[in-house]
Amino acid sequence: MVLTLRDVSLSLMGNAGPVDILHDITLDVAVKETLGLVGPSGSGKSSLLMLMGGLERATGGSVDALGHDLTAMDEDALARFRREHMGVVFQSFHLIPTMTALENVATPLELAGARDAFDRAAAELDAVGLGHRTDHYPSQMSGGEQQRVALARAAAPRPDILLADEPTGNLDAATGGQIMDLLFGLRDRHGATLILVTHSRELAERCDRTIRLVDGRLDAGHGDLRVTDAAATGQAHPAVDAAE
Amino acid sequence: MTWVRDAARIAKRELRGGLAGFRIFLACLALGVAAIAAVGSVRVSITEGLQREGRTILGGDAEVQFEYRFADAEERAILASVFTGVSEIVDFRSMVATGDGLEAERALTQVKAVDQTYPLVGQVELDPPIPLSEALAGDRLVIHPILADRLGLSVGDPLWLGAKRFEIGALILREPDVSAQGFGLGPRTMVRTAALDGTGLLAPGSLFDTEYRLTLPEGTTDETLDAARAVIEPELEGTTARWRDRRNASPQIERFVDRIGSFLVLVGLAGLAVGGVGVSAAVRAYLDRKIPVIATLKTLGAEGRTIFAAYLIQIAVLAALGIVIGVVLGTLIPLAAYPFIQAQLPVPVELGLHAAPLAEAALYGALTALLFTLWPLARTERVRAASLFRDASGPIRVLPRIRYIVALAVLAALLVGLSAWLSGIPTLALASAGGIAVALAILIAAAWGVRRLCRRLATTRWARGKPALRTALGSIGGPGGEATAVVLSLGLGLTVLASVGQIDANMRAAIDRDLPQIAPSYFFIDIQPDQIDRFRETVISDPEVTRVDTAPMLGGVVRSLADRSAETYDHWVTRGDRRVSYADAMPAGTRLTAGEWWPSDYDGPPQVSFAQEEADELGLALGDEVTLSILGRDLTATITSFREVDFASGGIGFVMVFDANALRGAPHTWLATVYASPEAEGRILRQVAVDAPNVTAIRVRDAIALVTEALGALAAATSWGAGATLLTGFVVLIGAAAAGERARVFEAAVLKTVGATRSTILSSFALRSALLGAAAGVVAIAGGAIAGWAVMTFVMEAPFTFEPLSAIVIVLGGASATLLAGLAFAWRPLAARPAQVLRGRD
Repeated sequence: MVLTLRDVSLSLMGNAGPVDILHDITLDVAVKETLGLVGPSGSGKSSLLMLMGGLERATGGSVDALGHDLTAMDEDALARFRREHMGVVFQSFHLIPTMTALENVATPLELAGARDAFDRAAAELDAVGLGHRTDHYPSQMSGGEQQRVALARAAAPRPDILLADEPTGNLDAATGGQIMDLLFGLRDRHGATLILVTHSRELAERCDRTIRLVDGRLDAGHGDLRVTDAAATGQAHPAVDAAE
Repeated sequence: MTWVRDAARIAKRELRGGLAGFRIFLACLALGVAAIAAVGSVRVSITEGLQREGRTILGGDAEVQFEYRFADAEERAILASVFTGVSEIVDFRSMVATGDGLEAERALTQVKAVDQTYPLVGQVELDPPIPLSEALAGDRLVIHPILADRLGLSVGDPLWLGAKRFEIGALILREPDVSAQGFGLGPRTMVRTAALDGTGLLAPGSLFDTEYRLTLPEGTTDETLDAARAVIEPELEGTTARWRDRRNASPQIERFVDRIGSFLVLVGLAGLAVGGVGVSAAVRAYLDRKIPVIATLKTLGAEGRTIFAAYLIQIAVLAALGIVIGVVLGTLIPLAAYPFIQAQLPVPVELGLHAAPLAEAALYGALTALLFTLWPLARTERVRAASLFRDASGPIRVLPRIRYIVALAVLAALLVGLSAWLSGIPTLALASAGGIAVALAILIAAAWGVRRLCRRLATTRWARGKPALRTALGSIGGPGGEATAVVLSLGLGLTVLASVGQIDANMRAAIDRDLPQIAPSYFFIDIQPDQIDRFRETVISDPEVTRVDTAPMLGGVVRSLADRSAETYDHWVTRGDRRVSYADAMPAGTRLTAGEWWPSDYDGPPQVSFAQEEADELGLALGDEVTLSILGRDLTATITSFREVDFASGGIGFVMVFDANALRGAPHTWLATVYASPEAEGRILRQVAVDAPNVTAIRVRDAIALVTEALGALAAATSWGAGATLLTGFVVLIGAAAAGERARVFEAAVLKTVGATRSTILSSFALRSALLGAAAGVVAIAGGAIAGWAVMTFVMEAPFTFEPLSAIVIVLGGASATLLAGLAFAWRPLAARPAQVLRGRD
């Protein structure tokens, strides 16, 4: 397994006191699997993705990635782990505004000590069709272009796990489609495990498996079903339908 | 005018949001106003103290002063007929000695010889506490404790003044009229004028002045005083006697306080300019946040002027609050610092509430606030309703309408004009305003340069593979950084400090290090004509003496130059008494720049050779006439040549040298400069004193020490001013760091996501802060060096050497300040969980 979650729960401190976000999530993700996380807004999909990336710390249970217990690691150990094994793509791209496209993509490679960070970053930008915009700042690019840079940044270190949080949420349908193609293309090329949060049925349908969250819990009736099964019968998965 | 009412209503609603985001705005304005208000209040307090205590400080209601002579019987009779009290004081420099042989210790002293009526006003406090009449009875004198310490003497010990032995009657603890007398090179010795008989001092041609202190019955009005003056002045017309009264008791202190006060107000304005940078940044950030609100208001039908007025009203209310805080602080700071201020001043100061300086500070504050906020305010008119439907988060990047640009120019002119008028030193004020404007322009250019350089460096191969450095360089060079605000705010304060550092270090170097190498060891004054030959023999015979220059010297007062009365000139040559010399043949080493020297044994109408530079400053030409009053007689001579005179070398230098025939007959003494090794100085002094006890020796090293001390005080005062500017700069820096915190929180979250550890992120933050601070420091050093060079070259006319020590301190100081401010705001970005930060922005 690439990822193993056991009885994971998450509570965050809100203005009115602690808020329970996730309850007793138990989940396994296989190597090179593509997993879609679906569910209504506020169901905890993104929080679960953040826990998997070590960007959020579980308040209960354990999160094991590639044989490492993420809940036992400190902030810096988690950063080093992500540097070597994970790439993350966000809905709002989250590029560093003071860096050019090339610098944004090169940063994780530099942090990992890659001597050819900039050459690899340039190649990665080429791969997403932005070889001509390497010196542009995020503010000089469209949303679609920014997301492509974010994809290149996530994929550049050849991560074992790619995490994507609604990567097409801020984009129009056509651009979103291009991004999806790129994302799956990268995944296929690098052979990474892809976990993505999405509201898009099309995107969910392209996953090997989807799981649905409702109120911070796995939807027992629909969890762990293969979309490919649903695709074979020519019907949309009910969990995906409910998510839209 | 409904739009004004609408604007007021909008402003009121917007202000309900509280002062969050305006703390830096308020702090910057309050600090600047407080500094100016405090300096102004102290200045007025001192000036009022001088006015109030004028009678005590002067030692009478009025004073008539004569140069190099006593009032004659007729003049005394006139004074006595008008005033109820008359007291005669003789003031001159001399030497005191512990004995009369070669073993005796000697020291320079400022002698004040008084009559039985002294002091007419106030009391002399002595140790032991006995009446002055008792302490001066017989052949006794009183001395300042410093003099007693210097010579290792105490009350009852013998002390030689000139050729006469006295006994120390007491030590002077307080002299009521000490501030009225000018700058003295030596500590005070007080003696009865009658007891000077037998000292050999006050011989014809000696340099001394007499002051007649005059009193009217206590409580006399200024009108009565003016009436008395009206009686006296016609009687004294034609003499060089100078009138001074209680309303102008200590012009030197008053002038000094006035000048330094005005100067510090100008430094305060520099502080306000730095504050203006912070004010402007705060308002810009506020208005950028308000773009959606402005766009919404426009969608709802608000006109541009309504929007402008609404935000102008808000800024005006906040500015008024900042100014009030500043004025209150400016009133309280001097009260808190009262003991320190009083200790620095020789006159009593009563601190109180003075409306004028507070109003002045408030006015400067209001103008500065308006000047620095009008630009961002004016741009609100240009916000389009369509901003709502596009990305409204970006800052406003359009030029304001032309009328606002004109208004800005008018405001700037008003501020500069006001400071020129109110400071009373328009030239310096205009120069300072120009300096601040140029400095701001240079700093803006420098900030742009720093950003370009960092941008360039970030993309070089050298920076690759060093993510902390590259992200630091990228954040300085990239869009939307803090570089401009930091370089501007810190740079201006550091530039002022660097200028002071360079000028002070160069002046000290010129005086402490360079001058003693070219200056003589001693000036000997009051050498009588019959002593000069023997004097020369004595000093030349010493093997350590390398050079002796002598010249006859007379004291005179310039009456007119080129047919214009001396009073119409504002130049040091025409103020007070002027020492002049005469010569027959042209003295060795003289370099004429125009005209010709008179022939040997010339006995025609009087001729004078004038110093070229001073003649240029006074606008004199060959053939112009100079009238000088010497011992009550006027001498008119024609300028027939100009000479080069180097006053900076510390040697003998006279502005005017007359032909020998014109002055040889007048009573005069000789001046000598002796150049010798420091080891020989003590021996030469003893030898000269044995031969001629009346001769006064001024050790150049002591005079230099006094000048250095005065310079130190001036530099310290300026440094305090620069310190206030720096403090404001630091507040702006904190503001910039606080404003950038959100961006850094985000950056840290993204960097953590892509694998950066906290130490990498902290290094990047620390590097960018230190780099920016160091850059501001380097710019400041360049500015300081240029200012230092300009002042040394054009004002001091001395060579300029770059002084590295103060420069290093300034770069390190700049880097530390930004590092401190940066690190203070690094904690949150480092501690924040990436998920919370990044999801919050989705």
